[in-house]
Amino acid sequence: MNDAEISSLQAYKEELIVEAKRGGALVAGVADANAFTMAPEGHRPTDLLPDAKAVFVVGGAQPRAADWRSPNHQHMETSSTSDRVSALALKLANHVERKFGYYALLNPPGVDRGRNPFVSLSLAAELAGCGSRSLAGPVLNDEYGFMYYSAIITTLPLPVDGPITKAVCPAPECIEMWEEEDTTPCLSVCPISDDGCLDGKLEGDEIAESRFDRARCTIRTQGNWVPGFQKALTVALDEPDPERRKMILGSTMFTRTLWSMTYANVSQAQCFECMRVCPVGAQHRQLI
Amino acid sequence: MAAQTAPLQGEAEITQEIKDLALKAGGDVVGIAPVERWIEFVPEGYRPQDILPGAKSVIVIGSRGPTVGSWRSPNHRLMEINGYDFANDRAIHVVCNHIEKKFGYYAMQGPSLPTAGHQPLFSGMLAAVLTGLGTRSFAANIILNPKYGLLYYSAAITTLELCPDPMLEQDVCPHPMCVATYKAIDKTPCMAACPADEGGCLDGSIDTDGRIEDSYFDRERCATRSMNFGINSLQKALMEIVEEEDSERRHAMINSDFFTRSCTSVSFFKDSVAQCFECMRVCPIGRAERKLK
Repeated sequence: MNDAEISSLQAYKEELIVEAKRGGALVAGVADANAFTMAPEGHRPTDLLPDAKAVFVVGGAQPRAADWRSPNHQHMETSSTSDRVSALALKLANHVERKFGYYALLNPPGVDRGRNPFVSLSLAAELAGCGSRSLAGPVLNDEYGFMYYSAIITTLPLPVDGPITKAVCPAPECIEMWEEEDTTPCLSVCPISDDGCLDGKLEGDEIAESRFDRARCTIRTQGNWVPGFQKALTVALDEPDPERRKMILGSTMFTRTLWSMTYANVSQAQCFECMRVCPVGAQHRQLI
Repeated sequence: MAAQTAPLQGEAEITQEIKDLALKAGGDVVGIAPVERWIEFVPEGYRPQDILPGAKSVIVIGSRGPTVGSWRSPNHRLMEINGYDFANDRAIHVVCNHIEKKFGYYAMQGPSLPTAGHQPLFSGMLAAVLTGLGTRSFAANIILNPKYGLLYYSAAITTLELCPDPMLEQDVCPHPMCVATYKAIDKTPCMAACPADEGGCLDGSIDTDGRIEDSYFDRERCATRSMNFGINSLQKALMEIVEEEDSERRHAMINSDFFTRSCTSVSFFKDSVAQCFECMRVCPIGRAERKLK
């Protein structure tokens, strides 16, 4: 590749970043499409788009500072979703195809068979240098902390950012807490030993071990979404008494579950407690 | 809200302004027809003027659906999820708002989803034809645009009188390549991909002038393939679940991948709006638009 080609690819990347930020993204980065070797076969970018060269990742659309501040936890259930950042990524995919002339596709949000993602957005965000994995599970950006990510897979050979070299988690405050109490804010708020979802260990300023009970987390973070619907339906159909069954089907729980599955934007995620106590990006949640 | 004060504009100028806005808002094509064009084709009660009294014009916006990269993916599930992004719906609302706020005329989205059975209140397909954006094809009657082939359409009905576009004089389907294929194997590419006589959905014939002579589309069969995961499959699965007497089996059905995907398909992820694109995959119309680097 000659200098002119490299320069033109860099210009494409800069244009995409400008478009991404104009569309509301807080961060953007590029991963090498062939770097997803730790993902199982069938879940790598080149499995979805043959000859893919790059994965362009955008992040943002996290809850607002005021959302975090609301004492009504149900507010976050109804206002926090990844939809905005997915819509932005699709727009960028169209931009790549229609303006630059290269193939691009949106890595579908959500999960496929067996609740597995098409291509892991967490891995994509890490490989694009948008952040690093945390003890709490989400990929944390060093400036903003928790956010939602979306990715496009493209044959456009964009200059790669690659993973960051200094892990975002644990934050200095968490290292200090670990040294004093053998726990971190996220581990202490949702400890696996006390029916929570998280466990782990720090050594120096690094994560030495981490454990995340995904099944348990799912029933808490998606209590009113598809898993909630499936659970409520199971209970309703197991109920032999028709009067009680009608009550279950007409209950607030069942109603909210149905709302959450539709376009009403309700309850895509319901538990943010590990992120609420995370110091990374906390400065952006403090306003006047 | 009162309409903004605007300098007096001529009909042609307003029409052009609306078309420019439609394209800027996400449309790939836009066409306009006077409501009188519906009288010949549509029974009373389903015409634009029945939906919006005093309607004068219909504006139709067509947008490309899946990215070309999605068409290229060997994982067919990609198209199931990335097949539709509502760009045409968004653009039509931008246009409606503009007409009401700037020009002070009523404007509304044509209601193209069925309210009973599978009959829409207002056919978006017919609207696309009458506004000159495309013509019906052998492939499930999909309206093909001469440049892009498959597009997703939304319509606005308005009391604003606008300059109309002519309907297409030349049928988009069959493409000359398809006529040649038909002569050779008695089927067009779409019919060969999904032949009604072999468990598929499509059949038809081409006359000596190279035009559609007759066409057959098995809508019910197509629906079971193109909407495997959606409201239909949720209803089907629910019926089986409710009828299952063994609670263990019922639990397994409720938590199965099939039921989970059916639930997510009616939800927020836009999962599985359509799942089978095979007749369109082999269609030569718009193929040039699907060749990238």
